[in-house]
Amino acid sequence: MIKLSEKYKFSLIINFIMIFILLSFNFNSVLAADSNLAIDNKKLTIAFVPRSLDNPIFLDAFEKSQQQAVQLGIKLEWVSSFTYDAEKQISIIKSLIKQQVDGMIVSVNNTPDYIEVINQAVAAGIPVATFDADAPDSKRLFHIGIDNYKAGQATARGLLKVLRQEGIDYQGQAKKLQMMIMTGVRGALNLDSRIAGFSDTIADSNIVLSDIVENQDNVNLSVELLEQYLQKNPQIDIIFFAGGWPFYVPAEALPNFQKWAAEGGIAVGIDIFYDALLLEQRGLLKYLVGQDMSAMGSRGLLALYNYLIEGEKPPEYIETGLEIADKNNLKQLLQTHQPWRVK
Amino acid sequence: MINNLFKKIANGIEIHTIRTKLIISFLLIALLPMLFFGLLSFNIYRGEINNRIAAYSQEMVKRMRRDLEDYIIEIEQFLARDQDFYINQFIKLTQVNDFRNNRKYSFRIWEDFNNLKQMKPGLRDIAITFQDGRRISSYGLYNIDIKKFKKNLVKGEENELYFLPPHRNYFQQEVVSFVRPYFPEIAAENVLISADIDLNFLANLTDFQLGEKSFFFIADQQGNIIYHPDKNKIGSKSVLFAGGFSNRKLTLNGEKYLLTSTFSRLAGWYIISMASADEVEAELNYLTDITIYLTLFILLIIILLTTYLSSALSQPIKKLQELTHRASENDLSVKIDIKGNDEIAQLGQSFNKMISRINDLMEQNVKEQKLLRRLEMESLDNQIKPHFIYNTLDLIIGLLESKNFDRATQMVEALGKFFRLSLSHGKEMVLIRNEINHVKNYLYIQQFRHGEEYEYIVDVEDIAVLDKHIPKLILQPLVENAIYHGLLPAEKKGLVIIKAYLNNGFIYFKIIDNGIGISAAMTAEINAILQGEIQVKEAKKYFGLRNVNRRLKLIYGNSSGLSIESVSGEKTIATIKIDLEGGN
Repeated sequence: MIKLSEKYKFSLIINFIMIFILLSFNFNSVLAADSNLAIDNKKLTIAFVPRSLDNPIFLDAFEKSQQQAVQLGIKLEWVSSFTYDAEKQISIIKSLIKQQVDGMIVSVNNTPDYIEVINQAVAAGIPVATFDADAPDSKRLFHIGIDNYKAGQATARGLLKVLRQEGIDYQGQAKKLQMMIMTGVRGALNLDSRIAGFSDTIADSNIVLSDIVENQDNVNLSVELLEQYLQKNPQIDIIFFAGGWPFYVPAEALPNFQKWAAEGGIAVGIDIFYDALLLEQRGLLKYLVGQDMSAMGSRGLLALYNYLIEGEKPPEYIETGLEIADKNNLKQLLQTHQPWRVK
Repeated sequence: MINNLFKKIANGIEIHTIRTKLIISFLLIALLPMLFFGLLSFNIYRGEINNRIAAYSQEMVKRMRRDLEDYIIEIEQFLARDQDFYINQFIKLTQVNDFRNNRKYSFRIWEDFNNLKQMKPGLRDIAITFQDGRRISSYGLYNIDIKKFKKNLVKGEENELYFLPPHRNYFQQEVVSFVRPYFPEIAAENVLISADIDLNFLANLTDFQLGEKSFFFIADQQGNIIYHPDKNKIGSKSVLFAGGFSNRKLTLNGEKYLLTSTFSRLAGWYIISMASADEVEAELNYLTDITIYLTLFILLIIILLTTYLSSALSQPIKKLQELTHRASENDLSVKIDIKGNDEIAQLGQSFNKMISRINDLMEQNVKEQKLLRRLEMESLDNQIKPHFIYNTLDLIIGLLESKNFDRATQMVEALGKFFRLSLSHGKEMVLIRNEINHVKNYLYIQQFRHGEEYEYIVDVEDIAVLDKHIPKLILQPLVENAIYHGLLPAEKKGLVIIKAYLNNGFIYFKIIDNGIGISAAMTAEINAILQGEIQVKEAKKYFGLRNVNRRLKLIYGNSSGLSIESVSGEKTIATIKIDLEGGN
């Protein structure tokens, strides 16, 4: 038997204790990481909350997120009020908190009420991401969408290109070009950024802003407001649609808009989908810049899934890139985009 | 003690007065019928209200059942879809995960369900639920706990309608759900179509005015509460359930209720109304209050009217009573101020007349008394003539001088008695016995004075007469007349007879002398004067006769008096007639 000195024995015990403490610390850290992130994917439920159900722009994201969910083997929820109603949307987010979903991806405004409810969810241990419209002042995990300022810039550049092609002088100061902007609600960060990018790009032109029309993110109201506006202001030269609300109806439902476009009015906008492309084909819209909603659905879900399952922290901002629709690629786009309405 | 208290109260309110009696009488007459008919009407009305409340409660629950069933039928129609193309497509594509083609059907279903939700009040959501818990509704696509969902389903009595008791749906809304299975033609798996109904809307389908304490609740066939205003009770078994909810009165938590229920076969629910007895009776209490206030008001009016009327009636009586009392206290100056012409006014008039008459009588009486005193004094003056006294005293002196002491003593004694009886201690009335003795003394003296030229006889036929009273000095003047005007002028032995007797309630005195008599003419004249038929001009004429006659009439009335009969040269009879029942 080897006899150990008392000093060696003491040193050995101390070393064992130290090793035990270190191992315990690491083991607890792993447990903590698992409890926060490594959720059993059989039970995983991630909810998308679009701004409303009646806005078909979200259907691409809906479709792709469902496909992604099947691939990931998780449960997907897609809930919102049918028409946009901030109060109802917040109420639905609260319901999801009660239902203890595992994660949420929401399209919201950067306003106090939304920020509060997002923070409530985060406080309840539910990671929240935003898509389409961001609330950067909240504790949301990440945002997936486009750089709206750049989208506005791209649309403005497209407008100027169209004006050049149409032979309309947008630089001479002798005659100003009057412009109307249609947006959803002011304060929606994505829309405000688009308008800012657009306005900054045309700052050196003779285009002046006459009016901003708010349609409360409501498709039907947007159509009504557009028709009324053109009835009263047929002399307006340019319309910039910060979103594609009125593009969901067929051209026949927009007689004033048709007439105005036929008489030389130039309309450009953001959001590309099948009906918008049909309007562009009919000459009502001259230039469209789209956001990749499909990517927001699939990549957004994947990023949150990876965060929940793998603990992989996504970047705070995920760019999905812009899509341009002009007369050069219109035919191709009409083949790739699907009609959303049941005929 | 209680009697004393009652008496004190009775005395305090002067219950003995006519006014109080009138007030009490009027009040009783007015109030008893009013109270009787008021109570009768109140009880009849109260019974009628109770019946109506019971009928109203029954009608209320029946209407609620009808409204509820109508609503459920409409919801059932929403749910009972015959092979909806879009739903079938959606189910088929969902089952094969064809999301690309399915999104338009999803959108269509959202749109349809949202439209239905907008159309139907109270409808919170419509949903299609797959067997794995996936659900599409007007709120989008989400998942529910299908096991729990199915476990809580209750099958209705009719069709294939299921019912999910009150619960919070996915969006935390308090709802009840109606569920029907849906069998799509193109898919093997059936789904469930459900409608979430707002619990409060369902409970308030029928707009009824319930009080604060009254309420209603809904329970299933096992007595489990589906709706209750106290949310904590929802889901628990009702303590009122006894194989059903029979209509009855009951006490719950110290409150009395009227339970009325009905059963909906379609929903399989009992609808139970709990009408608070307090609130049911609030109307009755209101009625009671109105009755009491009205009664008090009428009572007040009656009291005021009664007081006024009784005062109007009793005031003259009271005045009359006061004046009568004053009159009874010798104040005969009182006079009633008469207003109106009613019985009391007539009584007042009579009172005034009576007082006036009493005053007259009093005055007359005073006059008569004065006259009587004067006549009496005159009679006395006439009697005590100085000549009579001197002669009598001279006679007594003569007797003394002749030492006839016995006779002198008798004379003095007779004279003393004469004067003592004349005065009679100032009394107006004297016993006949004394008046006879007085006349005897007078005759004794006069007989001696006149040398016993005449005799006298006093004849009292009825001894009882002696104890009667008569005015004093009524016999002596007549005896004096008989002596001086009848006997002394005659030249024969004279006789004076004084008779006294009773006859038919009258006392008679007859003074008879056998003197010279009086002529017939003079007798007639004297009687006429005594009867008041002739007035005497000379005061001294027939003074003695008139004095006696007058005094008799004053005291005994006209039925009494003096009369003279005479046979000239033979006799004279002076008759005094005293009516014992007459006069004062």
